[in-house]
Amino acid sequence: MKTIINRFKLISKHEIDVINITDNVIKTTHDSSISSGLALIMSLHTTTGIFVNEGEPDVEADIKNQFEMLAPENFSYRHARFLATDGQMAINSVSHIKSALMGFQCFFPIEYNALVKGSRQNIYFVDFDGPQERNYVIQILGN
Amino acid sequence: MIDFHTYPVMIKEIYENDDELYKVVKNVFGFGFPPQPLDLFFMEMREAGVEKAVLLPLDCSKRHNCEIVSNEIITELMNKYSYFIGFASVDPTMENACLKLEEAIINLGLKGLNLDPAIQGFFIDDKTNAYPIYELCQSLKIPIIIHCGLNWSPSALVKYSRPYMLDEVALNFPDLSIVISHFGWPWVDEALMIAIKRPNVYLDTAILYSGTPSETYKKIFESHIGLEVLERSLRTKILFGSNYPRIDMRRSVRGINNLCLSNEFKEMVFNDNAKTLLGFKE
Repeated sequence: MKTIINRFKLISKHEIDVINITDNVIKTTHDSSISSGLALIMSLHTTTGIFVNEGEPDVEADIKNQFEMLAPENFSYRHARFLATDGQMAINSVSHIKSALMGFQCFFPIEYNALVKGSRQNIYFVDFDGPQERNYVIQILGN
Repeated sequence: MIDFHTYPVMIKEIYENDDELYKVVKNVFGFGFPPQPLDLFFMEMREAGVEKAVLLPLDCSKRHNCEIVSNEIITELMNKYSYFIGFASVDPTMENACLKLEEAIINLGLKGLNLDPAIQGFFIDDKTNAYPIYELCQSLKIPIIIHCGLNWSPSALVKYSRPYMLDEVALNFPDLSIVISHFGWPWVDEALMIAIKRPNVYLDTAILYSGTPSETYKKIFESHIGLEVLERSLRTKILFGSNYPRIDMRRSVRGINNLCLSNEFKEMVFNDNAKTLLGFKE
């Protein structure tokens, strides 16, 4: 069995930025030449998320809006204090909570060197604390 | 909107070919978040609704043998990107401080002076070292931003950061515009008293010490000082400053906007007062 880890950078442009990475996952899978196996997609951050859903702008907006309500900004978060290691005020607990609720990874089977996914399934990277430079990995496992 | 209090310490491009800068930003300034591409600074501004940012360097030559970004780099950024209003920094305890300041303002075109006594290591009312700098700023007609109160830098010493020392400075230099940064917290009342009393003393909103901007502004501005005091007595005296990248601009702007202040007051804090101080409007 082969394993290939591909690292990618992206730049989020907004405080909450929903970025469709489906094409990149499809291309990376194809380029790997793995015909049968698994693609694992994972964010390397704690204030971002990965999710799979329909590639439709209203669905994207609804998901974004619901997450806003799940972690309201006007709440007394313990994390809201100075972090000496970063030299910053950690006032982004809402971003961490949204990330924890969404999850940071997804996977798809690979068959005949292509993702096995539903026609409406799109893969999204979400930044809950943008704008920032972000990283995610796609690991391809298989033969 | 103008953010009167930002630092260039998260701009990845300024670290290129300067390994030493990482160390001093971490050890002297106390900032350790990984640098990000310059474009992200502008995106942060856009997200917050900030059109221009005052960029602050810090010269700590005597005490720490370093500059946390030179006046020349600030000038380069300002000249290249219209989003930036560059301030200079000189170390008042260095013999060449006045010459360096003249060079920065007259030749480089920087718009004001940033002093951080707690890091640089001088007393605000030091007549030997600081007064010649104030005198020069007054004659050059540039504002000074002076950091008072809590300073997150590990090297900062609190004995240098009491706002009350500015009372006499403001009296002796009546034509010098002085911005007390961080609202002087925890000596908010001292800073407030001087800003209310002295026509040439201003305050910036970079006040966070614990909690979110919304919580902090509510506690200090609404519960402690009183919004009516701000509206009545400090309309022309408060400037929006986020302290970015220690604190993000977006949440700082929202924190001010969440207060029940008049739109006129907010416009003055976010725009007019800074423009007046910088000579952008009469």
